[in-house]
Order: sequence, then structure tokens, then C-alpha cells
Amino acid sequence: MKFLSIIQLTFRESFAKKTFMAFFGISTLICLLFIFALNLDIVDGLQSSVSIFGKDVPKLVNINEILWGIEAAVSVFLFTGGIFMSLFATSSLIPSLLQPGFIDLFISKPISRFEILSGRYVGAVSIVAFNIFYMVIFTWIILSAKTGIWNWGFLLAGVMIVLTFAILYSLMTLLGLISRSGPFSLMLTYLILFFSPLLLQRDKIYALLSSKYYGYLLDGIYYFLPKPSELGNIMQQLVRGIAVSSWMPLWTSLLFAGIMLAMSGYIFQKKNF
Amino acid sequence: MYAVETFELTKYYSNGKVKALQEFNLQVEQGKIFSLLGPNGAGKTTLIKLLIGILHPTKGRAQLLGRPITDYTIHSRIGYLAENHRFPEFLTAAQLMYYYGKMSGLEKTILKDKIPQLLKTVNLEDWINVKVHKYSKGMMQRLGLAHALLNDPDLIFMDEPTDGIDPVGRREIRTLLKSLRDSGKTIFINSHLLSEVERMSDEVAILKDGKLLQKGSVEDFTSIKEQYQLRLQDNQTSINEICIKMNIPLSAQNGLYTIAVKDTVQLNRLIDELRKSDTIIQAIMPRKISLEDFFIEVIEEKEEAEN
Repeated sequence: MKFLSIIQLTFRESFAKKTFMAFFGISTLICLLFIFALNLDIVDGLQSSVSIFGKDVPKLVNINEILWGIEAAVSVFLFTGGIFMSLFATSSLIPSLLQPGFIDLFISKPISRFEILSGRYVGAVSIVAFNIFYMVIFTWIILSAKTGIWNWGFLLAGVMIVLTFAILYSLMTLLGLISRSGPFSLMLTYLILFFSPLLLQRDKIYALLSSKYYGYLLDGIYYFLPKPSELGNIMQQLVRGIAVSSWMPLWTSLLFAGIMLAMSGYIFQKKNF
Repeated sequence: MYAVETFELTKYYSNGKVKALQEFNLQVEQGKIFSLLGPNGAGKTTLIKLLIGILHPTKGRAQLLGRPITDYTIHSRIGYLAENHRFPEFLTAAQLMYYYGKMSGLEKTILKDKIPQLLKTVNLEDWINVKVHKYSKGMMQRLGLAHALLNDPDLIFMDEPTDGIDPVGRREIRTLLKSLRDSGKTIFINSHLLSEVERMSDEVAILKDGKLLQKGSVEDFTSIKEQYQLRLQDNQTSINEICIKMNIPLSAQNGLYTIAVKDTVQLNRLIDELRKSDTIIQAIMPRKISLEDFFIEVIEEKEEAEN
């Protein structure tokens, strides 16, 4: 009950800051774009013609392959855009919680500091989950209704996007707690988001390094940091119904999130306001 | 069991360079209005924040209603009005009370009745569905007061409760706080408004540089021992001769005679003499100074001692 009220208040704050509505509006716009942009004619279960934004897509034998291809492409678009928007929309939630006079009101209630912080974190993730699932389900219905093929695997894209956000938001929570600045925590999280794919190419970097220890260091950084681009690949495999080649990026990223949240919890517990 | 009890409670900032509170020992009895006075930076707000758990002590410990301050569950019996509270301005008073009420563990059905009732108590019933960002400072303060009373607390902390409130509003708050005290609640106030404190407090403590200088009842602090003031009927000047005869120092101002007697026996003898001379005594009262005068005296004494 108490925990739920913190989540509800976080939702309210997001509504008031218009970020929730902007997010919702953009999501709706994207979904509507798909309604009008995708033109797919099926005749007797076979593809007659496919066009996106008026351009014909080369004919493929199997309609399932077309749909899975489209859905995989759409999911990547939703993943990238969704994560980018979600981080932006929720960046101020932790610093605003820490404002003098505001945090006092929470601490004076019979709730533990852990519940306050986790309520805020879960609130932010819930706001994003609401919008992402709205976008994914809406898109899924449009694509499925147009093709008559209901690929349930596409819904896993929503789960993966929210999970990836939750992992990155754990870092933003820690940074927000330390710096009390939304823009600062957002910039550093974006840095990780865009820097981590480079580490996938670390084999090529090894050759440039003077010592093998730098290589170990690079490996260590790679395994420690979240791996959003690889999580995106896992999502694509799930959407296409292909067996996932490796779950390592997911569990190491979840471990990272666990460490970030544990550190955030510790710092929040010890903090003077 | 005390409402508030601190044991060598200490808070340092900036690695000990700023000593906000130093080995502070205090006991506040239940069912009283207790006020903490002190100049700016004396450590008053630090003390309240430590007791609520917003700050962590550097050393020492404290108890609220017999439970350690580290036990956050005790907050279900505590109300808190912060000095510079920042309510979410996107909420109406009713919504705000609802969310914070739920955080206090109150059921929706209880809140439904309690919220309008409390907002009426602080004269905000017409503003119940107006967003908080439209409120004046005084209205915010009254909302803060209603919020602090939401969980029917046994102990209420108030940091500058009448700040920004007009004289009529202040009187209403005084009446409300006294009625809460009469119903057995303990009220712990930090205030700069000494006249307010004097009017409503049972006990007062004076804090300076994080140290407790004085603690006692308002009555003790404001009464001057063995000094009395007499109001006599007009044109009765026999008191001058009687006082000279009895060797009692006397002064007069605005028709009020001030005497300094050795003890109550001498006071009664004086009354006997005055009555024998057919002097009509209208009133006899112990001489008092204002709490403000006492406060300044204590602070100046402390400063002199330091110099």
C-alpha cells in the first residue's frame, strides 16, 4: 500500500511534467505511422504486394518471413527510440526526489529509505513499461491484423525494451543520487549506451594495445558494463523466433543493474538530506 | 517514558569543522508543548532532522516515544511540519493528503472522511480541489499543518509552524495546538517567534552553537523571583511611606508599583500594612519579563562567557 503510493506519486509527477503525455503522444504517432506506411496485400494467404512508406519491398516466398523481418526491423526501431525517449523522460525523477523539503516528507513517513528509492525506481520503470507496451501491442495488432499472422514473439520485444531500460535506469539512479543532476546522469548513461557497442569490437582494439593487461582491462569493462546493443540482438532473435545464441549479455547486464541498485540503496541509506 | 529523549546526540558537518549539535541531552515529557529556541544556526533544525531520520547522527543516540530513532516504523505515530517543505505543486490539497496519507499507512476509507475534516480545521475547506501551486505561503503552511496531523500522531514536530501566517491565523493555530496538547499529544516546536512560543509553550529550551543553554518552564523563565507588581486604587500613596518604613525597594511606572521583597512573609506583612492604612489593593502579581528578554539575556551571557 505505502510502496504503491510512491509509485502512483511518481506517475503523477511524470504526468505533471508532461513527459508522460509527450511519450504517449510520440508512441501513438509512431503506431499511426505504421498503420498508414505499411501496405500489405495478402491474397489467399500469399503475399501479393508489400510496401513501406510507398516503396515496394522485394517479394519473398514466405509471408511469415516478411512479417518477421518487418517486426524485427520495427522492434529495433522501437528499442532504439524507446530507450532513448524513456531515459530522457525519466532522467529528472531521482534528482527531483532528493530536493530539500520534498525528500523530508517521504522520510518522515513510516517507510524505509529502501522502499522510498525502490518505489521511485519501480515507478519510473512502470511509466516506461506502460508506454513501451502500449507502443509494442499497438504495433503488433496493426501488423498482425494486416497480415493475419499473430506472432506472439513480437510481444517479447516489449519485455526486452523494458528490461534494457531498467538496466540502464539503475545506472541513472546511482548517478542521479550522487550528482543530484538529471542532465548529468542522462549524459553519462547515454555515453554508456553509445560506448558499449564499441566494446563488441574490442578484438580489433587489442592489436593497438601495448600491453596484454590493457586487453584484460577492456574485457573487464566489457563484461561489467550493460550491453544494450547485444540485448537488442537477443530481442531480434526472440521476435524472429530464432534460438537465442547467448544469454550472457542479459545476465551480465542484469548483474550490473543489481550492483548499481545495491550501491544506490546503500548510498541513499547513508545520505544526509 | 519521554516523548523525546536524546543521549549525547552529536552532529558534525564538513568532517567536524561545523559542529551543528554537540553531545546534546534532552528529555521532553509527553503531553506538553515544548519549544526549542535559538539564534540562526544554533542547531534547532538539525536536531529535528536527526530525530526524524532525515540526518544521521555523528554520534550519540535518541528515542522517540521510547523507540530508537533508527526505527522508521515509529513515524506512524509522528507528524512533521518541515520548515521549508516542498509539496508536489501539481497536486490538489485533497490529492496531496491522500498520497501522503497512504504513505502513512492509512486506509482509503479513513482518508475519505479525514481529509476534508482536517482541511476544514486549518480553514482550507474551500481550497480542497485547488492545485497547491496556487496557494499563498500561509496557506501552504496551513496545509503542512493538516498534513502533519493526518495520521493522528502522538508526537508532532513543527519547524516554524506559524511562519508566513497572519495574526488571526496564528491565533487559530495556537488554539489548535493547545487543544492537541490537551488531548494528550506532545508538540515539539522550533520557532523564532518568541511571543508565540511564550503564549503556547509549557516548556522551553534554549540552544546555541549546538549546545543546550537552558531548559525549563516558561513560567520559570519569565517570572522574577521575589518581585511583585501591585495595582492600587487611585490617589493612594501611603505605599511609599510603608515601603520606606519596611525597607522594601519600590518603583512605580504607569500606575503599577514594583516591589522587591525578601520573601512571601514580608510580602504578606506589606499587604497587612497597606490594608491597615485603608489602601485598596486591586491586584498583586509576580513580576515577569518577556521570554524575548530572557532569551536575549541568556544568549548575551553565553557570548560574554565565550569572550
